Amino acid sequence: MERLAGAASLEDLRGIEREFVGKEGSVSGLLAAIPTLSPDDRRVVGKGANLLKRDIQAGIDQKKGELEAAEIAAQRAGGDFDATLPGAPQTRGSLHPLTLVRREVEAIFVSMGYSVLDGPEVELDYYNFQALNIPADHPAREMQDTFYCDTQGNLVMRTQTSPVQIRAMERLKPPFRVIAPGRVFRNEEPDATHEHTFHQVEGLVVGEDITVGHLSGVLKGFLRQLFQKDIEVRLRPGYFPFVEPGFELDVRCPFCEEGCRVCKKTRWIEFCGCGMVHPRVLAAGGIDSEAWTGFAFGFGLDRLVMLRYGIDDLRHFMAGDLRFLEQF
Amino acid sequence: MLISYRWLNRHVDLGDITPDQIAQDLTLSTAEVEGIEVFAPHLSDVVVGLVRTRERHPDADKLSVCTVDVGTGEDLSIVCGAPNVDAGQRVAVATVGTVLPGDFKIKKSKIRGVASMGMICSVRELDLGDEHDGIWVLPEGCEVGSPVSAALGVEDWVIEIDNKSITHRPDLWGHRGIARELAAIYGRELLPLDLSMPETGSGSSVPVRIESAACSRYVALSVDGVENGPSPLWLKLLLLAAGQRPLDILVDISNFVMLDLGQPNHLFDRKQIPPAGINVRMGREGETITTLDGEERKVGATDLLICSDDVPVALAGVMGGEGSKVGEDTGELLLEVASFDAVTIRRSSARIGLRTDASARFEKSLDPAMPMQAAAHLVRTLREIQPSVELPSAPTDVGDWQSCELFVELRGERVRRVLGIDLEDEAIAALLEKLDFGVDHSKGVMRVTVPSNRATKDIGIEEDLIEEVGRLYRYDNIPERRLSAEIAPPPHDERHALVTRIQDRLSGSAAFHEVLTYSFVAGSQLEKLGVADLQYTRLVNPVVDGEECVRRSVVPSLLGLLEKNRRQFTDVRLFEIGKGYCPELADEKGLPGEVHELALCWTRPEPGKKARFDAGLFAQMRGVLDDLFVTIGYEPPCWSAAGEAGELAPWFHPGNSLVGEYSDATKKGEVRRVVTVGKLEPGLHRPLGLVQELAGEVVVAQISLDELLASRSRAFGYKPIPRFPGNKVDVALAMPIGVPAGDLVRAIEKSGKGQVASVELFDLYTGPGIGEGRKSLAYHVLLQSDQKTLTDKDAQKFIKRLERAAADLGGELRSE
Repeated sequence: MERLAGAASLEDLRGIEREFVGKEGSVSGLLAAIPTLSPDDRRVVGKGANLLKRDIQAGIDQKKGELEAAEIAAQRAGGDFDATLPGAPQTRGSLHPLTLVRREVEAIFVSMGYSVLDGPEVELDYYNFQALNIPADHPAREMQDTFYCDTQGNLVMRTQTSPVQIRAMERLKPPFRVIAPGRVFRNEEPDATHEHTFHQVEGLVVGEDITVGHLSGVLKGFLRQLFQKDIEVRLRPGYFPFVEPGFELDVRCPFCEEGCRVCKKTRWIEFCGCGMVHPRVLAAGGIDSEAWTGFAFGFGLDRLVMLRYGIDDLRHFMAGDLRFLEQF
Repeated sequence: MLISYRWLNRHVDLGDITPDQIAQDLTLSTAEVEGIEVFAPHLSDVVVGLVRTRERHPDADKLSVCTVDVGTGEDLSIVCGAPNVDAGQRVAVATVGTVLPGDFKIKKSKIRGVASMGMICSVRELDLGDEHDGIWVLPEGCEVGSPVSAALGVEDWVIEIDNKSITHRPDLWGHRGIARELAAIYGRELLPLDLSMPETGSGSSVPVRIESAACSRYVALSVDGVENGPSPLWLKLLLLAAGQRPLDILVDISNFVMLDLGQPNHLFDRKQIPPAGINVRMGREGETITTLDGEERKVGATDLLICSDDVPVALAGVMGGEGSKVGEDTGELLLEVASFDAVTIRRSSARIGLRTDASARFEKSLDPAMPMQAAAHLVRTLREIQPSVELPSAPTDVGDWQSCELFVELRGERVRRVLGIDLEDEAIAALLEKLDFGVDHSKGVMRVTVPSNRATKDIGIEEDLIEEVGRLYRYDNIPERRLSAEIAPPPHDERHALVTRIQDRLSGSAAFHEVLTYSFVAGSQLEKLGVADLQYTRLVNPVVDGEECVRRSVVPSLLGLLEKNRRQFTDVRLFEIGKGYCPELADEKGLPGEVHELALCWTRPEPGKKARFDAGLFAQMRGVLDDLFVTIGYEPPCWSAAGEAGELAPWFHPGNSLVGEYSDATKKGEVRRVVTVGKLEPGLHRPLGLVQELAGEVVVAQISLDELLASRSRAFGYKPIPRFPGNKVDVALAMPIGVPAGDLVRAIEKSGKGQVASVELFDLYTGPGIGEGRKSLAYHVLLQSDQKTLTDKDAQKFIKRLERAAADLGGELRSE
């Protein structure tokens, strides 16, 4: 019992346990020797030995409890552990910010019943212009600084995602709602706010009795989701050959109350061009404009990403610089 | 385009509406206003002063010392160098502290010993013209002490309209057009303007012959007795506000009419025009004309020319010729106001690279009814300035034109259906009538007369009229509505879903960074990589010379990013999912075949120490790919070492590459090559800048998403959890170095007779005890059966079989 009191660790305790009550221990030896004794001695020795074993075991158990509690207390004291040392470095990759925001946009429209479509980046002049009510001599062609892919003018790098409107109409039966995000190209010298390759999201809804009211309802609903606040918008006349009437949709600047750099002090940010699908465009897509009406819209994704992250130079997007990309 | 608020007020009374309000209403109903600025703000900073006395400067002959009353009760002493300054004049005074254009601050000064408390300004010092031969003498009635702008009644605001927002509106390229819109918006009267031709003399008119259909109307009017000189102040100020620098009466009056009505016009010296008169014809190859800006320009068969008899004197609709410039003697002039074909003018101006105020207007399709009106407007305005101007003969008016006025039927029902508003037919008609449309709705359907200035291009169909109604009603007043319709679920887009899964996996635990690169690749890069000979879709007009190829694969652009990123980071892992275009796969319409590709590049420095058979970064990349395929719903592909060179893209190391194949999703026995992974071709490290401090391992992977989507994906299902414990056996095999590990694994699997549940390489080495030309591979093999608990006896059978299989491959079992 003295030894028990002096045991300083669980290790000591295990030694004591082995020595006295373990398989090979002295008390166990005593018990093992019992069968060799006379029946009377057996009873006496047996009882004594069992009592002894029980007492020792009880002592050990009690001591064990004490020692374990002391050990936990010591662990809890913490020693020289420093929790403020830096975490072990983990590698991680990143998704392009255009991917991140595109996914957000897609998720909102998909939740409103839209399909996401894709279209070719090298496009036929027919889809990029003619079918969109931009015939050969239309001034809008020059405004768009088209990259031509052949000298006959049959192939272009698409200047807008709008050709997907025609491809959608050819493929789907109304009513339908689609969006088409993707790359577009304009022959422009890149600078902080211009790129020859940028990204748009096209939208097209065709149905019975689709009105201007629906157009503003859908776009407002989308913007509310995107900016997570009730955002004020305004529709004003805008000219795009493939819609009639056509509008520009401005969004109340979400960054300021009195005008700031982002909204150029106007308190409005131009967000997208939109309008009611021109009857000639519906006809090009094989849709009867008397039976169906529709609206279309298109906005720049790059600009949205710039607004979201406060990025001030468009050229970062296509530069493939890890110092930029790893931040997302 | 710059619009002057004061100029607008000549056409519609807007006195009680602020320029800001006008800007907002124009933006919401008509065209985008980009900004408003106060016109000539310094005109409000300088005050009217009365020169009380003027004396010669005691020490300088050319200077005068004036006392000037600027209404403060205390006369200022100002030294002035202008020869025309005199007592009794009212002048513009910049007092001490005033800042003039050019950031010129007036200070108290001493000029040759005489104190000067300000400056008497010339027209040029106020940025109102180029005249600087003296100070600006103001009219008698100006109130001393008040700001010059107020005293002259010329306070003005400049409203800038975005030209892009009026490309479709030829009628808005002048002040009257904008005023017409504002009159409609505010329900006011557009003030009448007398556009009738004044009486002319009975002399003979200049003959005009039109030889090209690109000129639909040509009005030529002789104008006599103009004395050229500076324009009156009112005209100069209006022009300045509209951004046009005043020059002299002839130039100014011509610009005035263009900016007022939107109709360009030109004045010729009539004395230079021979009796044969004017001939309008297309240019001839080899012909040249020197334009007013002094440039000699080559003319082609697509350019329209105004000729004096047969000599070109103007590039029609773009710019006049140097030769016909009006000289000092302006007594006999010929005014040209014409209608030209919009496309011809636009092409000419684009081809020559000369865009002018005139060409910008002609290319919008101007109203052919306008030339005679504009001619009348010009001479009437000119006569206001010089009443003695005479019109010796009737205007010549030739051309095959007719009024564009047209009729369009409009259904009120359609208006309501498209706009989504409840607007009675009467209200619709009222809105249209405000914009000068005529509406006859006697027969149920509205029959709308489109005025000719709107009918050249902008208005042609019912939807165009719906737009007119909508914008005057104000789109903002249309109530917002929710869509409701039965929409069928969209067709499943497997590629879209796949791309998302790939992006997530690679950017997650695999720690790759997604990049987006241009679709165009430089020819030099393709050359470098040895793929310049392939067919490419090429840009006719690239932004950067040499960057005209549309990419077939994402890999070349990705490889181009390694060097610059390795300069910043030791471990660079990039991926891109993008499209490539292959002309040889073009469809019948000529659209090149589109391929969808995932490319990965990984580079890092060579590790300091590496075991001989450590596949290093290659093994890492392969691990990433196997894991990726499983994550996106496929088994790992069937890998095999790439065969002879030439089969692979030239950026892959011909010997150190693997190709991965899958079974076709539907066709039995058909195989699709989905992925290639390999070390970078050794010869490319230097050209790609990956040498010296940037040297290292480079591994590239190229995956065809199209092939992957056509391959059989992993079936849905699960394997039951094994009921019987497995038996783990470790084996070491000594094999000839040339035997691929892949073959050995297949031998192990075969030896297990279906009982091999997993094979894991744990040691690979060569050295003493193995023998020359041999390597040792050690594997943990897990044997497991779904029938019974495997015994040591089963393991022994497996080892026996493996021993034979190893011998067949030229090796031996070293231990178990």
